[in-house]
Amino acid sequence: MNLSKLLILASAMSVSATAFAAGAHSDGHGMGSGEPGKASEASRTITVEMYDNYYEPETIEVKAGETVRFVVENKGNLVHEFNIGTPSMHEAHQEEMMMMVEHGVIQGGKLNRDMMEMDMGNGHSMKHDDPNSVLLEPGESQEIVWTFTGKGNIEFACNVPGHYQAGMYGEVNFK
Amino acid sequence: MSRIRSFVAFSLLGSTLLPGAVAAQEMIADTSARKQALTSWGVQFEELEYRYSDDDEELGVWSADFFYGTDEFKVRWLSKGEYAIEEQAYEGLENQLVGQVPISKFFDAKAGVRFDTPEGPDRTYAVLGVAGLAPQWFEIDANLYLSDEGETSAELDAEYELLLTNYWILSATLDATVAFSEDREIGVGKGLVSTETGLRLSYDLVDRAFSPYVGVVHERKYGDTADFAEAEGGGTEDWFAVIGARIAF
Amino acid sequence: MKTRLVTALLCLLMPALALAGEYDLTVDRVKIDTGDFVKEGIGYNGKSPGPVMRFKEGENVRINVTNNLDEMTSIHWHGLILPFEQDGVPGISYPGIKPGETFTYEFPIVQAGTYWFHSHSGFQEPDGAFGAIVIEPEGREPFRYDREYVVQLTDKHPHSGDRIMRNLKMMPDYYNRQQQTVGEFFSEASQNGLMDTIRDRMAWGDMRMMKADVEDVQGFTGMINGMGPEQNWTGLFEPGERIRLRFINSSAMTYFDVRIPGMEMTVVQADGNNVRPVNVDEFRIGVAETYDVIVRPKDAQAYTIFAESMGRSGYARATLAPEEGMAAPVPQMRDAARLTMADMSGMPGMDHGDMDHGDMAAQGDMDHSNMSEMDHSAMMAGTSDPFYAKGSGIAPTAANGGKFLSYADLKAQKPLYEEREPTREIELRLTGNMERYTWSINGVKYEDADPIRLKYGERVRFKFVNETMMTHPMHLHGMWSILDVGAGEWNPIKHTVSVQPGTTVYMETEVDAPGQWAFHCHLSYHAAAGMFRKVIVEGGPDSTQAKTEATTEVGGDA
Repeated sequence: MNLSKLLILASAMSVSATAFAAGAHSDGHGMGSGEPGKASEASRTITVEMYDNYYEPETIEVKAGETVRFVVENKGNLVHEFNIGTPSMHEAHQEEMMMMVEHGVIQGGKLNRDMMEMDMGNGHSMKHDDPNSVLLEPGESQEIVWTFTGKGNIEFACNVPGHYQAGMYGEVNFK
Repeated sequence: MSRIRSFVAFSLLGSTLLPGAVAAQEMIADTSARKQALTSWGVQFEELEYRYSDDDEELGVWSADFFYGTDEFKVRWLSKGEYAIEEQAYEGLENQLVGQVPISKFFDAKAGVRFDTPEGPDRTYAVLGVAGLAPQWFEIDANLYLSDEGETSAELDAEYELLLTNYWILSATLDATVAFSEDREIGVGKGLVSTETGLRLSYDLVDRAFSPYVGVVHERKYGDTADFAEAEGGGTEDWFAVIGARIAF
Repeated sequence: MKTRLVTALLCLLMPALALAGEYDLTVDRVKIDTGDFVKEGIGYNGKSPGPVMRFKEGENVRINVTNNLDEMTSIHWHGLILPFEQDGVPGISYPGIKPGETFTYEFPIVQAGTYWFHSHSGFQEPDGAFGAIVIEPEGREPFRYDREYVVQLTDKHPHSGDRIMRNLKMMPDYYNRQQQTVGEFFSEASQNGLMDTIRDRMAWGDMRMMKADVEDVQGFTGMINGMGPEQNWTGLFEPGERIRLRFINSSAMTYFDVRIPGMEMTVVQADGNNVRPVNVDEFRIGVAETYDVIVRPKDAQAYTIFAESMGRSGYARATLAPEEGMAAPVPQMRDAARLTMADMSGMPGMDHGDMDHGDMAAQGDMDHSNMSEMDHSAMMAGTSDPFYAKGSGIAPTAANGGKFLSYADLKAQKPLYEEREPTREIELRLTGNMERYTWSINGVKYEDADPIRLKYGERVRFKFVNETMMTHPMHLHGMWSILDVGAGEWNPIKHTVSVQPGTTVYMETEVDAPGQWAFHCHLSYHAAAGMFRKVIVEGGPDSTQAKTEATTEVGGDA
């Protein structure tokens, strides 16, 4: 892998990381998707199963301010993501994911975790460790605790290239 | 999984409905048209034109080609005529019937007979020739003739098409005849007999089926042939303005 | 687990229990109006294209086909896996359907996706005898959409199929109106220098090959769902919806480059089989191929579906719009493609560059283990499609500079077959002579050829070596073509595999369908000229064997 591409990738990731941070903390503008929650505050657990390429369930209902513990299981044969965000956040994140595919971090049903850890300079990496998302290989399972701070146009989505477009997303409806 | 399951179901069904369907000898043989050699046919008038010469001679001229056959064997009827309008006589009229087989990637061999029945004495020839596409896109038709009088001659036709556009085409033709022996009765001397060179500008009006053209044609006789013509009071060189159409269907 | 067993049993029994869909088709003489011209043609149920046949996976269909023509006819269910007697190829599957006769096809539907059907008799298919097949899957699909449209492309020509074949035999360049002209010579000379241009012309003239031989048959009107560019077929949508477009190329001879300016497309199926979603800006659809894409128009505006032919001699156009009557700009066609010496590199006796590149590309470069070493910028620009000869003049690029779909992007969503070593390799050289308009396989035309004999249960690796300057969409009936894109078990399965000039392409076939089948180039006039083979699959499961397998399957599941 050559250096210039790494730099481009790193800078692209830092830009969108900033965008995410701005989004996440702009409560009240109806733009953000919420914030990481504490497990102890979780009112309930929702299990989300990821298949190729769809979720079960495809809609969930939450109350504004509710903290939910998600158990995300990848039951498919491909790498999938569970990411809570607005459509525009997903769109921005898809570009990063595209680069992860191009650089061999995501290879169909495998994640190259070594490469994810690799230092890309400027303190950036392709770790994919944002608190609003998990990226899982087939058979893996992980938890996210999330507080839906306010109403908004929020979806959970898989931003592995093509998956969101093909319909791998779910709606978060506010009661 | 569902596919595999259905596939098994299908084999179950298939095997109950069609027992022994797999035995090769029960399967039909392909006797459809697809398995036969593809036969084709075509008609082309490379020239169908009116000629007006520099000494006011008027001619109706055609050069036509009808074929029928397969890739391996074609029957071809070639017809050429020059009709003098004022005299109401055929200055030239020849018909060839040849069989044609491929001999290389771009060339065919031809063999057959040629009947010349113009005004004046008739001749019948045996024909042996090759026709095809030479490098750099020259269309070549070369023939050897042996007449019923025992005289031999050869003819070379060459054509080159220059695409001014994909519809305006300038075609250059050369037709040269050489006789290896004299045939005084029909005015042919030994050696280079005659050449006909032409330049025609055509426009493809209807596909390649109808392409009107205008052009110039130069005819010249050489050596003894020219002398024979002069002795009979004829000319040895003619320039023609031509107008006509190429036709293919 | 109990319910699964019951379901499995039901699934097994259902087709046999004649839970059958019954369908009727008539084969009729019809009028076809392209907007440019009106011609007599052949259609189904009174029109061309015929109806969209909607089947359900797992059902057993009965289709009564009545021949109202005064000649023999047939229907081939393109891409469907079925008993060979039902495949509809006269002389191979059955004798065909006589005038006035009704033939009843009966077979189980064992797959899902987008396919098509067409006559396999004479030139009835180019004359209009085709329609679409849409099969709804048993389970849910790995993608979602709010509405769907079939987008069936064709290249309607004013001449009848017989006439076109005859004209091509008489003058192989009869329909080629993109030949190099004097004007092009001078513009090239001013660009590349006079001597280089002369040398180039001499090199091609020496081979007696034309750089412009990209499309044999020009002068057609591109049509979508039976409508020409001016008639503008329109599919409606609500902004924000996901629309599944089922593209089918039912052309006789024409590859189309398809795009929807202003909209990205996500390819989710190729030849009826699910592939891992790929986002593209444009794709090339070979003759007889299908691609399903999902698009999501966000704005309440019209979008043009623009499909220009590979050789840029014609185009089809349709519209997606929130309401009837809206239209978006129709792009200009790009410049006509020109072959290069690289495209000639497959010809025997030619030594113009590296003979192996087509080979190599499909083999090594796309292997996942090498992914990180790939040149991504080149891949992104779409300039190095490994399925085209290196330096090819017909390798496609996206009009907007974005992503153009390559075969290399196609990965099976879920492998249908377990991967295993092929039992043997069969080399098929795609051969021909443009000046004689003869087309053949291994230099032998169908009329002179022996059948290709395969053994039931083997896995055959076919090696296509394209020694001609034209693209050939090779279609094997009855069994899947597992296209080798270097992805191992994730190689996509197709029914039609395009082989570009100067390249070698491999595909593997699990020989799991006894009987005899057709295998041919799907360009109508190439197939008719001899690029065609009969395949005989010898042996097969006997009934007891099949039953045992079925029991094991159910037992294993429970």
